[in-house]
Amino acid sequence: MQFAAGAVGGTLLTPLPWKLADDSAVWSQNWSWRPSPERGEITKVPSVCTLCAGGCGIQARLVNGNRAILIEGNPANPVNEGSVCALAASALQFLYAPYRVTQPLKQTKKRGDKTGFQAISWEQAQTELSKKLEEIRGEGPHTVACITSSRRSSMDDLWAQFFNAYGSPNLFKMPSECDASKSAAQLTTGNSSTFAFDLENAGYVLSFGANLLDGCAAPSRASGALRRWKKDRYPVKIVQVESRASITASKADVFLPINPGTEAALAMGIAHLMVNGANYDAYFVKNNVFGFEDWTDSNGKKHQGFKSLVSSSAYTPEQVAKITGLEPAKVRELAKEFASQPKALAVWGTGRADVSNNTYHELVFVALNALKGNLKPGGLIGLAPKAPLSELSAQKDILSENSSQQPRLDLAKSQNCPCPQNGLYGFLDAVSSGPKYPIKLLMVHEANPAHCLPENKLFAAAAEKVPTLVSFSSFMDETALQSDYILPDHMALERFDDVIGIPGAPYGYYAVSAPIIKPLLDTKHTGEVLMKVASTLGGTVASSIPWKSYEDFLKFRVEGIAKAKAGAVIDKPIEISSIKAGDPVTSNYSDAADLFKKLKAGLCWHDAPSAVTFDKTTSGKLELACQSIGKNAQSSDDVIYLPHFAPLKPSGSESEWPLLLVSYSSPRVSCGYLANTPFMNKLIPDSMLAGDELFIDLNPQTAASLGIAQGDQVKIKTTQGEAGAKANITPAARPGVLYIPRGMGHKAYDEYIGNKGVNACQLMEVQLDPVSGMGTVWATRAQLRRV
Amino acid sequence: MDRILIPDGVKRCSFPIFSLWILVLLGVIGWGIAAGAAVLIKALNLTGLNDYFGFGAYITADLAIIALGAGAFFSGFLYYGLSKFFPSLKELGKIINLAVVVGFVCYTGALAVLLLEIGQPLRGWFGYWHANVHSMLTEVIFCITCYAIVLVIEYVPLVLENRKVSESKPMAILAHSMHDVMAIFALTGTFLSFFHQGSLGGVAGVCFARPFAFREGLFIWPWTFFLFILSAISSGPAFTALICKAMEIVTRKRLVDRTVYELIGKIEGGLLSFYMILKLADTANWAFNMSPRFGLKLTDYYWGPYGLWLLIAEVGICGVLPALILISPKARKSSFLLFGAFLLDIIGVSINRFVMTIQAIAAPVMPFDKWQVYVPSVYEVAPVLAMLAYCALVISLSYRYMPLFPRETELNR
Amino acid sequence: MSEKGHAQSNIRLGMVIDLDKCTGCGACSAACQAENNISFRPDESNKLRSISWMYIYQLDNKKDYPDYKIAYLPRPCMHCDADHHSPCTFVCPVNATTRDENNGIVTHIYPRCIGCRYCMVACPYHARSFNWWDPTWPKPMTSMLSPEVSPRMRGVVEKCTFCHHRYNKARAKAYVDGTDPNKATYNPACADACPTKAITFGNLLDEKSEVAKLSKDPRAFRVLEKLQTKPKVYYLSKQDWIRNLADNSLT
Repeated sequence: MQFAAGAVGGTLLTPLPWKLADDSAVWSQNWSWRPSPERGEITKVPSVCTLCAGGCGIQARLVNGNRAILIEGNPANPVNEGSVCALAASALQFLYAPYRVTQPLKQTKKRGDKTGFQAISWEQAQTELSKKLEEIRGEGPHTVACITSSRRSSMDDLWAQFFNAYGSPNLFKMPSECDASKSAAQLTTGNSSTFAFDLENAGYVLSFGANLLDGCAAPSRASGALRRWKKDRYPVKIVQVESRASITASKADVFLPINPGTEAALAMGIAHLMVNGANYDAYFVKNNVFGFEDWTDSNGKKHQGFKSLVSSSAYTPEQVAKITGLEPAKVRELAKEFASQPKALAVWGTGRADVSNNTYHELVFVALNALKGNLKPGGLIGLAPKAPLSELSAQKDILSENSSQQPRLDLAKSQNCPCPQNGLYGFLDAVSSGPKYPIKLLMVHEANPAHCLPENKLFAAAAEKVPTLVSFSSFMDETALQSDYILPDHMALERFDDVIGIPGAPYGYYAVSAPIIKPLLDTKHTGEVLMKVASTLGGTVASSIPWKSYEDFLKFRVEGIAKAKAGAVIDKPIEISSIKAGDPVTSNYSDAADLFKKLKAGLCWHDAPSAVTFDKTTSGKLELACQSIGKNAQSSDDVIYLPHFAPLKPSGSESEWPLLLVSYSSPRVSCGYLANTPFMNKLIPDSMLAGDELFIDLNPQTAASLGIAQGDQVKIKTTQGEAGAKANITPAARPGVLYIPRGMGHKAYDEYIGNKGVNACQLMEVQLDPVSGMGTVWATRAQLRRV
Repeated sequence: MDRILIPDGVKRCSFPIFSLWILVLLGVIGWGIAAGAAVLIKALNLTGLNDYFGFGAYITADLAIIALGAGAFFSGFLYYGLSKFFPSLKELGKIINLAVVVGFVCYTGALAVLLLEIGQPLRGWFGYWHANVHSMLTEVIFCITCYAIVLVIEYVPLVLENRKVSESKPMAILAHSMHDVMAIFALTGTFLSFFHQGSLGGVAGVCFARPFAFREGLFIWPWTFFLFILSAISSGPAFTALICKAMEIVTRKRLVDRTVYELIGKIEGGLLSFYMILKLADTANWAFNMSPRFGLKLTDYYWGPYGLWLLIAEVGICGVLPALILISPKARKSSFLLFGAFLLDIIGVSINRFVMTIQAIAAPVMPFDKWQVYVPSVYEVAPVLAMLAYCALVISLSYRYMPLFPRETELNR
Repeated sequence: MSEKGHAQSNIRLGMVIDLDKCTGCGACSAACQAENNISFRPDESNKLRSISWMYIYQLDNKKDYPDYKIAYLPRPCMHCDADHHSPCTFVCPVNATTRDENNGIVTHIYPRCIGCRYCMVACPYHARSFNWWDPTWPKPMTSMLSPEVSPRMRGVVEKCTFCHHRYNKARAKAYVDGTDPNKATYNPACADACPTKAITFGNLLDEKSEVAKLSKDPRAFRVLEKLQTKPKVYYLSKQDWIRNLADNSLT
């Protein structure tokens, strides 16, 4: 007892316990398992972001030149003016992702078995690919196909060059909203371009379902436009027409709730009132529009014009109200406002950037803007100008000449589309259901159709029929996982790339994305893999692709701009939207080398907007009666030539499937080729995801009728598939309509990314547009019940 | 078997039965220690705490147990300090040893749980080293530490009075001399514990951005400072009395005279009434004067499981009601009413500590914030139960081996 | 000593966020995470345990479809300028969180924090997050940690610092350049990132600064002004329903 007391007292008098206490505290402050980032000199490297089509200038911060720690916006870039989005801000999480493919892999077991991937050398990978291509080429080169990203870059042109030289027509792009715009521009103006919107200079914006702030194709530009609209003095009035009370709807001054997919009916209703009230740009229409009045075709046959169609009883405010669910008075009020506002612009979209639109609806919106006079020179709508990059022309040999007799596989099935476009859906459909000829090798580049293509089971079914599937993905995504070979590309920040124009932007734009860091892993630029394969194949294929590196290839492309002495490099912040069509832009580079040097340093090239030209159409005018539609038409009804409300009926009966499922995008969820990053996962609200359960949004009224309470476990069943989820009851949802966020439900990747909720693509129905043959997605019939 | 350690002239249950009871307690303690160790090793994610509920079961239990342990210092204060002037308080001498033991276990137990509560226990001593003099928690850390030392000093003579230990002469002398100076320690302890009990109240009351807890006050101390002291002294002795009664039931012996209970009842009745008057005034001021200034009304503070019933229970059923019972001499005569009132009293104070800790942070402050519900995990429940088991263990050991009740031999003759 | 009870310099760094421009895209928050080495876990859906210095609250006008409207309110640390103390600095027992009276930034020293979470309890804005777990990164991602901000350990509280390492750098640069460090300006990562430029940052006491002008705009308000916490983060909105959500009111 005494001893114990003495011992305690004695120990307390020594420095030992105090030293121990101090040491343990110091230890707790320096835990070895807490990473301590290496210090060093911090430098900034400018570049251009290629994670989406938006074309933002970025700069990376590096430590000691070899460790990237931050991606920021580049203030010198006129598109994003120094800002970044959540995806770009977390871009380094792709660069340093644990799920990157570290070197070429070959599947040795069954497809999809992660353990079956065997590491192979680049030497072997390229040799095996070349060999396969060589073999197939002898038997018929058209049996090789490729699916690439929908982003516009020189990689597209390199792929096209390769396919042209090699001899296969089967090169497809992932679907995009721009596809429909392209069809509409082609049909009405004869130009193979897309429509461009002068958002920044509009005085009144009427948006038909354009998801400007909910993750559109060019998010930075839309954000910049919003900032300008919300100016202190004379802010721009924004009217959002769609079914969901989205972010865009909330930011708008007026939200007009309508039944999903009826935006075009409302636009027709407005046009009806404008025409009947003679409240439209009659001068422009009279002089520049064909098919407004009744018209006669080359055979002398008389056809109904748009004027007579739109002013018919089918589009009276009452009729439109019935379709859209709005009050007739609202339709009248809106038409009056739109017609009377001097700089009113109608924009439109499907609410998703990654799928095409119904061509007739696209035409309706063009028609409405035409009535407003927006398509005249200097108007708010133009055509996206093209940077005069050096054109590529493939040399053909006998094999590629012969195979060019073969139709593209999506067309072989003869959809009878009068205006066929990039028909990925037709292609997949054909491959899986007994094609005219088999596909022996399918390559997938910068795309993940196994996950993010609506109705992704179509890809799975097609892939099953293809003996060899090659992925060039940097990441172990769902498509890469199903591939026989993975030849990993550099991650976007490690490679040369470029941005050709910004979707929907009226000004010319071109930027080179230079690598910010040396490749971290044993990866290879897919462009350079193509170059290598081409040179192995030899002959005209090799001579069509003579470049040694992708940088050389880009230099070659830029020469075209320099030769044309077009546009200028932006080396100081400018208000790019203040440049009008036809304004002179004086070039500020001496030659191609100088231009490339500037572009490589992160500066972008721009040019003045270009006005819509109609000289390429048969009539030399804007064709509201699209004569080319009539080519393969089976129907002789005049309406087939004209913009009109033509909803594609979702399959299933209303009695069996009483609800509609509509998917939506969120700026906080990446829903394309790139999966969400861990940083972005933090941004997903708990009303969208809880653990691995996704929430489906529904209106309180719908919930009440189904006996569903907030957070209830539910089962959603659509005509396409079914899934378990949770119910989120929100007045943002329209009664009778269910909403599901896109981009969730990944099955591949790692524990940070995978197994979070449901993939909307497996539930959504795709319908082929009768004019373009492209897949469109708007709503799918569904049932919902509590489990 | 352990007869030699048991005080002279008292009867204790057989050793095997006692061992069994101790084993049960040790089992609970072991469970709690295992849970506590897991928390220390794997960090606080094992608890039900989150960024919304920074404080939870650990703090609530600590506050409650420290309030109830106040019987020690307050009985000591009455006995050692005031009985010179009010001879009737001498009666308390019959229960004062138990009060000291209860105080000792409550404080030491609370300190052990506090160690789990902080995210970086190895740096817990920074509270002394980098003390922020403005923080009520600093006041608490210093006072609790000092008072725990005082309680150890108060507890030691009791240990020394054990038959076996006091056979050693120096120990007996030490015990005797310590008893002589105990009054000084009791008074020091009283000051310290008044102060820290108040500081604990201050912890909640100074949160000026938490309208539920915030109170204005006197000088640097919010009203909760004083209310916590008052509520502690109006419930601590009742807790001691209840434990004593429980021991009487378990041991089937009379340990103190009934007059002691009634005296405690009378004291508590008076204090509780005084406390309730102030508490009602405080509640009224908070609900109808302060809260409207913050744009809140009384009902904004209550929702779902944290409903108005808490206020009614705390102030009405477990506040005013026991106060009324205890100030009535007639009611005090009835054992049912007397001990029932004691029980309500301590429940009321426990609710108060719960409300000032958990409800204070459950109530959203930003208008767009949402109510959250806190559910403690087993890793919080186990150490708290272990702390109670530890209290029971020390009390059992103390009762068996030390002369806790001077009147026990006489009363059970 | 000023009447506010503490020595006041002429620098009070503050922020103005235009809620009419904010689209809730999350760029500010993601940029903040990257800039400040904020740790993440496989499951971040429990928002009550998710570390976020810049949390984006979703506000709604409580109306039915189609009058339902949402807005977003990004919430950094408010760096309260309440007299004498901020709610959190007042209560920290170990002086781990203090307000730098030279510039008004509320700082937090991680190696000193004992993790008592009293500051979190005191903060009505939930601006503070606790490290419930040992922060870990998937191995390759440790390469993207910034050396300018120390990663935290488990068991400590963390929160927005107005990127004060950027401020230190700006001051150091001003010193080297021979200009007045007290006039040094900088932007925190969130303000730089914002795609609609809804976030303005600067010295609230500099009459000429944009942030000072905007903080006096008729549209400006702060959250929970009635509590006298005096946040240095202001919000702008023209919409009454948003302004009404800034503070509790009896009506």
